Amino acid sequence: MVKLRGIGIVGEQALMLVLFIVIGLLLIDIVLQVVCCIYSGRGSVEQRQGIRLAGSGSTFIYPQMQEWIKDFERMYPDILVTYNPTGSGTGQAQLLREKVVDFACSDPPLTKEQYQQYKGEILQMPIIVGAIAIVYKIPGYDGPLNLTGEVIAKIYRGSIKYWDDDAIKSLNPKANLPHAEIKVIHRSDSSGTTAVFTFFLHKAAPDVWPSSLVGKAIEWPVDATGRGLGAKGNQGVAEYFKELDSAIAYVELGYALENNFSIAAVMNREGVFVEPTVKSMQAAISSAIKAGLLPRSPLADWSGALDAIVYAPGKDSYPLVSFTFMIVWAEYPAQKAEAIKKFIEYINTVGQHQIVEGYAPIPTELQEINLKALDIIRGR
Amino acid sequence: MSVATARPLHRSDKLLYYSLLPFASIIVATFILLFIVISYVSFPAIRRYGTSILTATRWAPNEASPESSVYGLLAPLFGTLVSSTIAVILALPVAVSVVLVLEEYAPQRLREVIGSIIELMAGLPTIVYGLWGLEVLAPMLRKHVYSPLHELLGFIPLFSCRPITGFNLATAGVLLAIMILPYMVAVARDAYRSIPFIYREAALAIGATRYEYARIMLGLARPGIIAAALLGFGRAAGETVAVALVVGNTPYVGACLFKPAYTVSSLIANQFANANLYPYMMNVLFFGGLLLLLIGMVANTIAVIMIEKVRKRLA
Repeated sequence: MVKLRGIGIVGEQALMLVLFIVIGLLLIDIVLQVVCCIYSGRGSVEQRQGIRLAGSGSTFIYPQMQEWIKDFERMYPDILVTYNPTGSGTGQAQLLREKVVDFACSDPPLTKEQYQQYKGEILQMPIIVGAIAIVYKIPGYDGPLNLTGEVIAKIYRGSIKYWDDDAIKSLNPKANLPHAEIKVIHRSDSSGTTAVFTFFLHKAAPDVWPSSLVGKAIEWPVDATGRGLGAKGNQGVAEYFKELDSAIAYVELGYALENNFSIAAVMNREGVFVEPTVKSMQAAISSAIKAGLLPRSPLADWSGALDAIVYAPGKDSYPLVSFTFMIVWAEYPAQKAEAIKKFIEYINTVGQHQIVEGYAPIPTELQEINLKALDIIRGR
Repeated sequence: MSVATARPLHRSDKLLYYSLLPFASIIVATFILLFIVISYVSFPAIRRYGTSILTATRWAPNEASPESSVYGLLAPLFGTLVSSTIAVILALPVAVSVVLVLEEYAPQRLREVIGSIIELMAGLPTIVYGLWGLEVLAPMLRKHVYSPLHELLGFIPLFSCRPITGFNLATAGVLLAIMILPYMVAVARDAYRSIPFIYREAALAIGATRYEYARIMLGLARPGIIAAALLGFGRAAGETVAVALVVGNTPYVGACLFKPAYTVSSLIANQFANANLYPYMMNVLFFGGLLLLLIGMVANTIAVIMIEKVRKRLA
């Protein structure tokens, strides 16, 4: 130990601590640099062998994306696609702000402000249709159930407490509904599913469900009654639902089908009770396009898309449908541009025939709109 | 450092000391970096919401007008402290009993079996506890514990509300108790074992019964047992996945244990993925992380002081 005269033990210890921190920081820096070198070195090896497309974002589309990637890589073995289900928000941030991925999938499209900021540089394509099922469990009754947006909104506000409430009875005159308390399950994590669900409630019953209660994560009024429960992810909702004897929940259609939950028929804009099927999901999108509610180019502002397809016109339309968007840049390095074009072309043609249960392919009108991206994306 | 200042080092010792120094420095620097980054990211939240971040119970992101979103951490903070406290209260007597059984009563073979089971429990991924809590523990507790408790002792505020579901503060506490038990046993067992043999002989020599002997030994190891409780508390407060599955995830502050609630770590787990889409939400979540870090630091510091006390007392 070097003798440091005159500064005393305390000074000496402080000096040591500073030394400690400086050395530690230096070492961390060195380690990071080495890791970076190795990492970028590996990248260049891969570039020689093929092209790598990295994506991240929506967890909702993950099972479908895995299926697509598997199939796509069979067709184009020299293109390696990875997809990381980090959540829509993180996906957007990783593509736009951090620029660490080549494409993002997001359940909500870019907001108007974001769109203005990236206008012309960013393309958005709805690549899959999803639906949200309202599932129910009523003690002593397993027949069909009709629900309206207003009744669902009141249940989630906490003002309808029992299954034999007059409002539910009048929609289901033939059903034998018991006086059982409704336990209300919602998502606890921030989710596109919640956004679609709450948006539907607002559109169908604006008096009961104000716009301040619309979003990916909201403050649930029913929680104040003690009958509300938050569960993480679709999986969590399904697990909670299975455990309870009397409950209502909203989940992605795939989870409802996989678990054989009872799915309610929901009244659409025209007053018809519709169950979620591939047909009724696609009907909603097609009517929105026919009504001129959706844009006709990937370069356009898609921020109003949810408004267009949720609670859409048309007597066959299921009211709780959603999109997942693929978001890409308009410009890439030359090789990458070719690869991403191939991937987009695949998804909007062959890929639409490889659909996992619970999702629906986008209607052909939309495929044509999406394929315009191939002429827009350019290499540099 | 204490070695360096205590006595002059031999030349070769010095060499070894300086060559090992960098590795120890990494830990100090990492911790300080972590602390700085978390504080830095949470600062905008403090500037925006001030003390209301700690006093508000609402968690109300508002997409229609993002600026009017309200983020309060009181409910999750309350849930974290209460569920961890329940966990420690339930686990501590069990941990002490286990230590006594292992050290004094059980035959060698049983000791080994119990010891390895405890090690296995410590090593299980937390999601396994979570799923088990969700599918087995919560429904069971609701039916056989909460409902009778509410009916018999409903006048006590703790049990005053009807257990509508099994996903609540109490279940989170019980699950956490099971999860922290192995750690508490390990720390308490170390403290118990560090009691010098002389004391044991002395206690037996004055003709103490087994019961009296155990009491004397536990008295000697008390600071170590308190340390075990505090370390357990710290672990329980930081537990994420398992708690998010059974706690019910709704903001609640109140006396009743049978209502769904929230914890800071489950809030972070739930909201992190899309927090980027909301202004300030990420910052508030980081502030929650900072609070967890501070809780952990306080619990660990006191625990370390307690362990030091055991050493001094028995030296």
